Amino acid sequence: MHNIVLFGGSSHPDLAEKIASRLGLPLGRVTLSKFSNKETNVEIRESVREQDVYIIQSGCGHVNDNFMELLIMISACKIASAAKVTAVIPCFPYARQPDAPFKKDGTPLSRLPRSAFRGYSSDTPYGSASVTPNLEIKDPLDKMEDASSNYAVIRSVGGYKQWIARSGTLIANLLMCAGADHIMTMDLHDPQFQGFFDIPVDNLFGQPLMIKCIKQTIPNWEDAVIVSPDAGGAKRATAIAERLRMEFALIHKERRSQNKPHKTDLILVGDVKDKICILIDDIADTSFTITKAAKILHENGAQKIYAIITHAILSGDAIQRIQESNIDQIFVSDSVPQNEHLAQCSKVCVFNVAPLFAEAIRRTHNGESVSALFEVMD
Amino acid sequence: MSSNSIKIFSGNSHIELARLVAKRIGNELSRVTVLKYSNQETSVNIGESVRDEDVFVIQSGCGQINDNIMELLIMINACKTASARRVTAVIPCFPYARQDKKDKSRAPISAKLIANILTVAGADHVITIDLHASQIQGFFNVPVDNLYCEPAMLSYIKINIPDWKNSIIVSPDAGGAKRATSIADRLNLDFALIHKERKKANEVSRMVLVGDVIGKIAILVDDMADTCGTLKMAAETLIDNGAIKVYAIVAHGILSGNAIDVINDSYLEKLVVTNTVPHDDKKHICSKLDTIDISSTLAEAIRRNHNGESVSLLFHDADDPE
Repeated sequence: MHNIVLFGGSSHPDLAEKIASRLGLPLGRVTLSKFSNKETNVEIRESVREQDVYIIQSGCGHVNDNFMELLIMISACKIASAAKVTAVIPCFPYARQPDAPFKKDGTPLSRLPRSAFRGYSSDTPYGSASVTPNLEIKDPLDKMEDASSNYAVIRSVGGYKQWIARSGTLIANLLMCAGADHIMTMDLHDPQFQGFFDIPVDNLFGQPLMIKCIKQTIPNWEDAVIVSPDAGGAKRATAIAERLRMEFALIHKERRSQNKPHKTDLILVGDVKDKICILIDDIADTSFTITKAAKILHENGAQKIYAIITHAILSGDAIQRIQESNIDQIFVSDSVPQNEHLAQCSKVCVFNVAPLFAEAIRRTHNGESVSALFEVMD
Repeated sequence: MSSNSIKIFSGNSHIELARLVAKRIGNELSRVTVLKYSNQETSVNIGESVRDEDVFVIQSGCGQINDNIMELLIMINACKTASARRVTAVIPCFPYARQDKKDKSRAPISAKLIANILTVAGADHVITIDLHASQIQGFFNVPVDNLYCEPAMLSYIKINIPDWKNSIIVSPDAGGAKRATSIADRLNLDFALIHKERKKANEVSRMVLVGDVIGKIAILVDDMADTCGTLKMAAETLIDNGAIKVYAIVAHGILSGNAIDVINDSYLEKLVVTNTVPHDDKKHICSKLDTIDISSTLAEAIRRNHNGESVSLLFHDADDPE
């Protein structure tokens, strides 16, 4: 292949190596470091003039640092006269609204606990004192006897309802502004995200890889049930169920009463008695969704419970939660580095996405159709 | 009926400065919660209505810089999409200001990138202090107010340095000469310059003093003090050349790495920085550190911008104690 350069960012150097070796190319030489004042330093050590540049950076780990590094790399290549710069982002950052904090038993907190403030809030019930990062923080998992004294509440002012900023459009604009000409990603949480960009976005599917995983590693998969752990993922799960002609079930959060909206019940819709269940989801971050779903399935008589997740971010103590849960085995892709998770949990099994991205890069560079990648490869 | 009042939001980089600025204006800081989710993504929750208001977001380029930049961008964007009338980014210490030119092959011009992403996020106006290179204003298509610390520095020298009339202003490198001469002219003092001379490519450069400092108090003036290696060597050179005492006055006291040890070890009498970058924790371990409070300059700029008054007065001399 001519006129092509691949660079790997600091978020997932392993994946970049695998993609490069799959393409039969060496990774481009770049030095990534930080100055003493924590500013990112990018030094590109080979010429990119008139080259087709691909920068591989996943939205994981220290998300903001990796994202700024990506922007600076794109900008550096662009002003060094690269012909085209493509950002390959296996796990897209800020693609969705992450989980609100939860209590130990898994029910969501209706108010943010003090320990969630690794930042600060300008409003507390105690008048002038603001929660600063150095303030002594009480364990929010203490019993909520005196709720008002344990938690800093953001009170509404004058009937105003709080809302959390959605950063999707901003991230798309920032990438385009830095100079990206093309984006490659996988299993975007929100497929409409592609519309936020004015440049082409290849949203590759993990589905063929998941199907291959099911057929190859789960015995008696034909009799299993595909389960979606929430209503939002139903479409994703039914697509696989239809492809493999399997049965389907769904777990649904039902709110008990209008007066207590934070009391929810998980309901299983469908039948899983004595069956093998396969939970399908795109992202597992705190792993509350997937482990609670596994619990419900177990209570309803499931024989064995598998889970297949595309982006296994598994932050905080998610991996311990999975180890202790009713899940028998969990298959995850390596869009996010998994070495640590593999070491900490015996139930984790990784399937590779490097071949998928390598093929997409090869076809894009050669000007060939990428459609074949959306078919199942038997 | 629109209110169009000043709303000041602060990110996590320098809450103390933001509070001082708000107090000076006579407001309270507006409600916002900025924190991180467990997967390290930034979350911004604006706690009050900003519809048709004049919003100022105060965030300095210090500490965890990339995190603070993302916080700033998301806050600006959130206010913009919430129909704020105007969103101004107040960035006391501008991040990546030193990456402002392509001085080697394939070097990124990160300052230009920052200018672009601020505009894309929705900033209508930028207020900053002592840009490393004032040409950075040209990277923006929106108005930039590059405020100067000079009046505050002049004031400090006149009030806190006894016998300042017998001092000499020194620039620690050739790049800062213009800044130093401006102060020297204003105070009617002499000027000197320290110049790095490289004999051979691999040899340690030595510092050469251009000017005469014998028997005088030397005042080093620079825009940034980061690792402080330059300041330490400059102080040594000055003492070796006959200066009685050496002070250093710097706009942005970044003081990263082991800068405090370097300062404590050096011949410097005092290192004076403004509070564009938080450094209160460093004062406990370094008695030579002193602060110039710049919040009043920022507060005045914000007030005048909001009321549509001229900001020019901030570029002239501060009150003369004589």
